[in-house]
Amino acid sequence: MLDSCTQVLAGAECQVKTASNGAQGLKLVEELQPDLVFLDLKMPGLSGFEVLGKIRGQHPLMAVIVITGYATVSSAIEAMKKGAFDFLPKPFTPEELRLITQRGLEHSRLVQQTVALRREKEMLRENFAAIVSHELKAPLGAIQQNLYALTDELAGQLTDDQTQRFARLRVRLDDLLKLIHSWLRIISVDVNKLKETFKPISVADALVKAVETVQTHASRKAIEIVPSVVEPLPRVIGDEGSLTEVLVNLLGNALKYSFPNSKIGVRAEAQGAQVLVSVTDTGVGIAKADLPFLFQDFVRGQAQPEGVTGCGLGLAISRRIIEVHGGTITVESEPGRGSTFTIHLPAVPASPESNPTPERKV
Amino acid sequence: MSEPKRLLMIDDDPDFVAGIKAILVKAKYEVDVAYNSKDGLQALKSKAYDLLLLDVMMGRGAEGIMIARKLGKDPILRNLPVLIITGIREQMAFLFPGQAVHPHFVPVDELVEKPVEPRLLLDKVQALLKTAEARKAESK
Repeated sequence: MLDSCTQVLAGAECQVKTASNGAQGLKLVEELQPDLVFLDLKMPGLSGFEVLGKIRGQHPLMAVIVITGYATVSSAIEAMKKGAFDFLPKPFTPEELRLITQRGLEHSRLVQQTVALRREKEMLRENFAAIVSHELKAPLGAIQQNLYALTDELAGQLTDDQTQRFARLRVRLDDLLKLIHSWLRIISVDVNKLKETFKPISVADALVKAVETVQTHASRKAIEIVPSVVEPLPRVIGDEGSLTEVLVNLLGNALKYSFPNSKIGVRAEAQGAQVLVSVTDTGVGIAKADLPFLFQDFVRGQAQPEGVTGCGLGLAISRRIIEVHGGTITVESEPGRGSTFTIHLPAVPASPESNPTPERKV
Repeated sequence: MSEPKRLLMIDDDPDFVAGIKAILVKAKYEVDVAYNSKDGLQALKSKAYDLLLLDVMMGRGAEGIMIARKLGKDPILRNLPVLIITGIREQMAFLFPGQAVHPHFVPVDELVEKPVEPRLLLDKVQALLKTAEARKAESK
């Protein structure tokens, strides 16, 4: 039996090793870590089921095909329930054996690939923060350090304008370092952890802060940001910092894809049990084909105006932050006309308890 | 006036080193530099320093931490104050799961983040030197 099977299978594509009982078989499994195991259920000594259990325990991903001597469906099914990949009832033809071997090996290959890919993905995610923080932050840190040193060394020798420009350089670099830092936080840290510090917050506050953050950028492009808050605006449960980050992302995108001398609208309003915040621009717009992928990692639309840079993470991060808040983020866009991004957040029902500080600056 | 304090900086980024060294030299410190752990350890053995400025991520990984650990085991060098200058505060927790963000490598040490403002750098250096001196006086 073993010999004939070996004859059928052995060749350029596979190497076959045989064992005449369960104990020997398990030893071979440990030594060879085979891609595929054929296991007779009826053997002297250790039973096929025991061997199967041990293999599954040690190597949960190893493909095992049981050979059922009795040709009873029940024992085959029991074996499958215990994790066998497939079964082969005796007697079988060489063709049947080849076919099932092929399938088994294919399965084993796919499982191994999946495991490798999953591990790679996990490693990439875990190490992303480490890699990016060193590779990106190190050169920026070195530049900033020298700006500090130069400012110190040149103190008293610079004109007011030069001193101002040095100060601006330091601020810009500092902003950049902070941005990298906050993105890293989102990528490497579990966004769900934000929930631990959730409290009722005012979306209007986040909106004001976000507009302040991008104001300089907007002025430089001569773009007017027009905020409007429709009162009364219920609070939402969340993290003000990260909601501000989302709005900064959306406003940043709007600025990036807007034409100079245009307007960007930011509107917060209540609608049913939700608070809606929308950012509307009259910029280049987004192609319909790009819309479904917009909130995925590292995706940027086709319509890229000259000089626009970015890694395509902003919207993916924003989506994650909004989802942690139990909300959604949607987009409507028309190429050449502009885009509107809308955040939908569950509102806190208006009651004195959940709205302890009713005064709100807008 | 007393002898200028001698500092050693171990960091593999020459540009960053230049930015730190300029500040320290202007403040009248004597600064030696090593651009890798091997040269750094060599320098520590061959010369007496008052303070070590140490980077964490160098060469093949967290080599700065290996240096700090070696110092901790050395009967003399364990008393050398260390100012860790790192760009990876958040990674410290990653590298040392379960430990505080500022793990104490050696008895006298401090940590600042890259980039570090001149005032903060000089304050930390001065404070560490002062503490180390006080300790020395106490043990005498």
